[in-house]
Amino acid sequence: MTANTSPATFLQGLGAAVPVALGYVPIAFSFGVAAAQAGFSLVEATAFSLIIYSGAAQFLAVTLLAGGAPLLVSAFTLIAMGVRHLAYGPALMRAAGGSQTRRAWVWAFGLTDEVFGAALGELARGRRFSEPFMLGLGLGAYGAWVSGTVAGALAGGGALAGFPAVEAGLGFMLPALFLALLLSILSRAQLPVIAVAAAVTVALTLAGQPTLALLAGMAAGAVTGALRRSA
Amino acid sequence: MRPDVLALILAVGASSWAFRALPFRLDLSGLSPEGRLGRLLAATGPAAIAALFVASALPMLGQGAPLWGGSLAVLAVWYARRSVVLATLAGALAYGLISAMPGW
Repeated sequence: MTANTSPATFLQGLGAAVPVALGYVPIAFSFGVAAAQAGFSLVEATAFSLIIYSGAAQFLAVTLLAGGAPLLVSAFTLIAMGVRHLAYGPALMRAAGGSQTRRAWVWAFGLTDEVFGAALGELARGRRFSEPFMLGLGLGAYGAWVSGTVAGALAGGGALAGFPAVEAGLGFMLPALFLALLLSILSRAQLPVIAVAAAVTVALTLAGQPTLALLAGMAAGAVTGALRRSA
Repeated sequence: MRPDVLALILAVGASSWAFRALPFRLDLSGLSPEGRLGRLLAATGPAAIAALFVASALPMLGQGAPLWGGSLAVLAVWYARRSVVLATLAGALAYGLISAMPGW
C-alpha cells in the first residue's frame, strides 16, 4: 500500500470515527440507562459524558456514588483509573513520527482507548498524522458518546422492562467493557499485577466489603507492579 | 445538579484531560519505565481494570452460562478484531441472547 503524502483532513477524521461512533452509541446508551436507574438526573448523566468522557470511569462513578462510597475515595479511585491514558500520547507521537502537536491540549481530550486504537490503525495503514484529523476523529466519537448517553438517560431505568434480553445484554455491558479493556492492555509483565488485584478484590468482596474490595484490589495490584523485579 | 456530584465530575474530568493531554506538553522521558514510580504508574491501570472486572462480574457468577458465554464472546472478538468496542458489544449480545434462551 502506498502511504498518503498529504496530511489527513478534519473530514477524513470524522469518517474514521464512524466505526467507533457506531460502537459507542449502545455502550453510552447503557451508561445513560444505568445512571438513570441509579437515581442520577438527565443533566448529571449528560455531564458525566460531556466532562469525564471515559466509559470505564463513568460506570464506576455511578456504581461508587450510588453505593454510598465517600466522595474523596471515589475521586481518588476514578483519577487512578485514568493513569493508563498517560501512555497514549507518547505512543501516538512515536507512530506519527514526531509531527507537530501544538493544539494537542484541545484534541487530546478525545483520546479515549478506542480513539487511540483507531488513530494508530489509521497511521499504520499509511494515513499521515494531522491535528485536524485527530480533532475530527475525536469529535465524531465524542458526539456519539454524548448523544447515546442522553438517549439512555431519557429512556430511563424502566425503558427496557419489556425487553428482558436487551436489558440483560446491557447489564453485561460493564463487565464486557472491563474485560475487553483488560485484554487490550494485557502483557506478561502485568500478569502478577492482574492476579493480585483480582484475588484481593474477590477475597474482600466475599468478606462483604465490596467498595473496600475495589480500592484494596487496585492498590495491591499497583504495589505489586512497583515491587516487581526488573525483567 | 447536586454540587457534590458536579465537584466529582469536574475533578475526574480535569484529571482525564490532563492524563491525555499533558504527555504532549511535558517530557516524561525521565520517568523510567524500570523506576519504581514508573512501574507503579504502569501497574495502576491494569490493577484498576482487573479489580473492576472482578467486582462487576462477581455478582453474576451464579447465572452460569450467560456470564461464560458473554465472556467467551469478548475474548473471541478481541483476539479476532483487537477492538475494545466490538468485543464489548459482542459480549453484551452473547449475554443477552443466552439469557433469552428458554430455561434461563
